[in-house]
Amino acid sequence: MGHAERIWLLLIGLTAAGAWLAETGHSSWGLSLVVAGLIGVKGHLVIDHYMEMRTASPRFRRLLHAFVVLVPVLVLLSHGFSDVLQRLTSLG
Amino acid sequence: MSDTVISVSPLPPPVAATGRVPGNAGIWVGIFCVLVEFLLLFGVYFVAKAHHREAFLAGPDKLATVAGVTITFLLLTSGYCMVKAVETIRADRRRATLGWVLGAIVLGLGYPLVKFFEIRWNVAHGIDGEAGIFYTTYYYLTLNHLVHVSWGLLGLFWVAARTALGMYSPRDYSGLEAAAVYWHTTDVIWLVIFPFFYVLR
Repeated sequence: MGHAERIWLLLIGLTAAGAWLAETGHSSWGLSLVVAGLIGVKGHLVIDHYMEMRTASPRFRRLLHAFVVLVPVLVLLSHGFSDVLQRLTSLG
Repeated sequence: MSDTVISVSPLPPPVAATGRVPGNAGIWVGIFCVLVEFLLLFGVYFVAKAHHREAFLAGPDKLATVAGVTITFLLLTSGYCMVKAVETIRADRRRATLGWVLGAIVLGLGYPLVKFFEIRWNVAHGIDGEAGIFYTTYYYLTLNHLVHVSWGLLGLFWVAARTALGMYSPRDYSGLEAAAVYWHTTDVIWLVIFPFFYVLR
């Protein structure tokens, strides 16, 4: 099995784990943490191995990785500080 | 005592960065615009969720998870086909490249097909654009993503035609690679959208 096949299998396996969570998960810190982790790991795999950014310009690579780091952080902040976000985005 | 270390990681050892940018400059302008656009759209999701906790808690239960999972499998496998297309053109196996690009297109076309049946199922179950804030946000983000995937598919059709005409070679395949990196970008965005609407509560 080649490198691309291993990465594909890993991504499919992680997606299956996400699907299982979708059927069984309830709102909790645990669920948000796992989802944030899955977004980060799967994003990292696609960026470095599908897009070949691990051998590309470090600046481009950092910018792409920033995306899959920022979104999981926002997922966790949204879970923990929902009321703050609501206050900050309310009119009047 | 042996010094041998057995690695169980499926990933290869780190490779030194070359500073190379896959594809071409134009596609990267598009890719970063798309990423910024979706970051703003994700902002809409987070704000709507903060204001309507109950709707976002119950919303995913009514959606067909199987549709979201199938779309993820289709996109990841189509992306894999484009990885192989780039690999084979580097090895000057042009017929194989065409096969992989066509494979990516067929799997990619599965996305709008699944989406069509998903929306039909949704509407039959009362989940339309006026079913509540969660579903409005869901349609807003997922249909926006579908538009970007459609552009990617058009790019793949263009690349398939150029591959069939023998216009790519191991020395010049930047157009093929540009279509591939854009296609993978739509994967990265979907990997965020999928848990937002089908998994997270």
